[in-house]
Amino acid sequence: MHGDQLVNFAASLLTSVALLVVISLGLAVIFGMMGVINLAHGEFLMLGAFFTLSGVRAGLNVWLAMIAAALAVGLVGLAVERLLIQFLYGRLAATMLATWGLSLILVQVVVLAYGPATQGIPTPLGAVRVGRYSLSEYNLVLIGAALLLLAVVFLVFTRTRYGTMARAATQLPDMAGAVGINARRVNMLTFGFGAALAGAGGALLAPVAGVVPSMGQAYVGRAFMTVVVGGPGVLTGTATAAGLLGSVDSLVSNVFSSFLGTASLLLVAIVLLRLLPTGISGRWRRQL
Amino acid sequence: MTQRRTRSELGVGALLLILGVALSTAVPDYRAQEWALWVIYGLLALSFTFVWGHAGIFSFGQAAFFGIGGYAYGITGIDLSGRTNETLTALVAAACVAAIVAAALGYFIFYGNVGDVYVAIITLAVTLVLLTVMSSTADPKYHVGAAALGGYNGLVGVPPLMLPGADGPVLLGSNALLAGCVILAVAVAVLLSILRRRPFGRIVAGVRENELRTSLLGYDVRRYKLASFVIGGAVAGLAGGLYAAWGLFINPAVFGLQQAALVAIWVLVGGRDSILGAFVGVAFVQGLSSTLGGSGGSATPIVLGAVLIAVVLVLPRGMVPSATALLRRFLAPPRSSPEPATAAAPDALRPEMPTRANTMAPQSIEAVDLHKTFGGVQALRGASLSLPAQSVHCLIGPNGAGKSTCFNLLAGRYGPTKGRVRMGTTDITRLRPDQRARLGMGIKLQVPSFYATLTAYENVWLAGYVRHRDARAAGERAHAVLAWLGLTARAGEDAGSLSHGEHQWLEIGMVVAGEPVVVLLDEPTAGMGREETLRTVDLIRALAVDATVVVVEHDMEFVRVLDAPVTMFHEGRVFASGSISELRADEQVLDIYLGRTSTADVAG
Repeated sequence: MHGDQLVNFAASLLTSVALLVVISLGLAVIFGMMGVINLAHGEFLMLGAFFTLSGVRAGLNVWLAMIAAALAVGLVGLAVERLLIQFLYGRLAATMLATWGLSLILVQVVVLAYGPATQGIPTPLGAVRVGRYSLSEYNLVLIGAALLLLAVVFLVFTRTRYGTMARAATQLPDMAGAVGINARRVNMLTFGFGAALAGAGGALLAPVAGVVPSMGQAYVGRAFMTVVVGGPGVLTGTATAAGLLGSVDSLVSNVFSSFLGTASLLLVAIVLLRLLPTGISGRWRRQL
Repeated sequence: MTQRRTRSELGVGALLLILGVALSTAVPDYRAQEWALWVIYGLLALSFTFVWGHAGIFSFGQAAFFGIGGYAYGITGIDLSGRTNETLTALVAAACVAAIVAAALGYFIFYGNVGDVYVAIITLAVTLVLLTVMSSTADPKYHVGAAALGGYNGLVGVPPLMLPGADGPVLLGSNALLAGCVILAVAVAVLLSILRRRPFGRIVAGVRENELRTSLLGYDVRRYKLASFVIGGAVAGLAGGLYAAWGLFINPAVFGLQQAALVAIWVLVGGRDSILGAFVGVAFVQGLSSTLGGSGGSATPIVLGAVLIAVVLVLPRGMVPSATALLRRFLAPPRSSPEPATAAAPDALRPEMPTRANTMAPQSIEAVDLHKTFGGVQALRGASLSLPAQSVHCLIGPNGAGKSTCFNLLAGRYGPTKGRVRMGTTDITRLRPDQRARLGMGIKLQVPSFYATLTAYENVWLAGYVRHRDARAAGERAHAVLAWLGLTARAGEDAGSLSHGEHQWLEIGMVVAGEPVVVLLDEPTAGMGREETLRTVDLIRALAVDATVVVVEHDMEFVRVLDAPVTMFHEGRVFASGSISELRADEQVLDIYLGRTSTADVAG
């Protein structure tokens, strides 16, 4: 294998991994911290992409549009938590069904607002040549963004007052309540934070994916697989699971076809769960 | 009782069948076309009613099995119907392929012991990943025989439902297809509803209500979940096959979120524990969306989403159960006030405790050098016990001494870090609780553990059935045990409506019904008054006539009255053994119980 081939290969592998990280992180935060399964996660991704689209069309710089989109989806998340999720804590099936209903509504609202057609924004930046290959610079941005988002999650949960309270409320909810942590507020913020992360994921997808109201479905399956395989460790679990599944997907896709890549991701995930039913991070002592 | 209800079910089924078929031939063509789809969807909803409502598995996989069934019908039909001149084989293939996929997926899910939350997520993820996978098969190289998978566009040229005929295949028109769907749907509904009351169905209901208890009674929970999952998969696959035959095509949209959502919406709207509800839900939701589709079709998903959220928030039990409850309240004559609850403890006038009817020999219980570490906590650090057969033995010790951990290791709720457990000469260290129960172990936990929404009779029946695998014998035993407990009059009531004291006795009755040779009781007198405590002593002595009884207990008065050999735990080890009077004379034992620190270190 030549050096340029190797670099190209590594870049495509890391891009797969980064993609899984950005589409799963928001889901992982909401599930890991609150135990809520958000079936509207795919639609939060989709909203992030559409908000970015609107920002760019309104003349905003594409990077600023992405940040604004993430924050806007975060606000949507706060509203959803107040209007819907807060009534359903502890009712697993009900939460899933209600967020599912929400996802149907969000898709249709976006169809009504933007139309059903696939839209897109031009991929920013260009390409760099490495030997015989040309690498998309945006893919490198995607890898950097995945790392950045992981760092943001780490810092928020370890360095902020809210983060400490959120972790406390996850580990010992009763004790957290007893020492005066307002679980309502913490849950609301966690849901908003997770939604914003999903929005950021969608925003990052906007230049490379077809922006279409049904786009959430294309990603949410893989996001769920990543979170399940990752287990309770929001950060470590998601990162390792994305690393593993992304590598499998990328390897098989490169050697055979992307059809088999996705199929093998599914198989590996299911077999892993037989061996590690609580996910990769299920047995680790330090859980974040 | 079961037979009479089965007959009435067959009656209702036959009635529905005649009505449905008569209606099928009478309605206009376009209506028949629409209704056939509803019946097919009803069948899909029914599969979810069974998996979720009856077996308690919240799975998003039904849409996946539906789609797989559709593809299996399409592929088999395209490849074979030219030769066989019928598509019934393809329909059978649809159900079988879906069942096989369900079995494979279910094996990984249930034998991996993933939690309920994960079952939902995994089945959802599998469905959505199938969507992605099947959508990327546009290339002509993806084909099975003559059937090209076709990517987003799906399979085209799927043959309609064809019956074999003397001169060539008999194609079914819209009305005949509707009649065929009705026949299949009624047949499946009747079969499932009979199955629900067969022993298998009862056990599955037990798994849904209380997995731990079912496993402690001696049922391999994983097997029953897998079996229910496969049955649900087969029914969904059958529905998928009919769907492909109805539409003459199948595409990856069946794996989409909207399709999967619809299944849950139908069942939720109709009611998750009503077989009829599946069809009512479909008729309501599909009727609503086709009405809306006429005027403002683009708003349909919004309305569906809103209906879903509204049902979750306002009508969590679904339409049919809520409506029946309402009807009952209006129609039923006001019930006479319930009889005052009688004292729960069996008194002298009641029959003797039913004796063990099986031929298993009483077994000794032995633990060798048991260690158990939870994270960094060493709960047990080398405890050894040897309890002879047909005896009573008490485990005592202050909180955190390790006696409950020891109990749970004996019961098999978790495996030891190190050490062995033997029952007679059999090494049971690595056996699961249900395997131990089948060897003759009977367990009562410290926390109440029974089936609150099953009747008292069913609770005891489930405990008895495991031993002989004979519904009639289990029924007789259940009646005998309930008579002994003085609960005959309340046999048909939900166990959850019994009083706290009755719960305790019900659980003891479940242990007795299981005809154990080794009995483990964790704090059997918790919350009992003195009178009941004394009765428990008698009961334990009666059990010990032909079984080995191990009791973990806090109540020193009870231990004194029971007057059995005592083993005292302290800091994860056996600290002292002997009769209760010997232990009471021991200064160190008193120190530990009274928390006098001066000599506590001696224990280490």
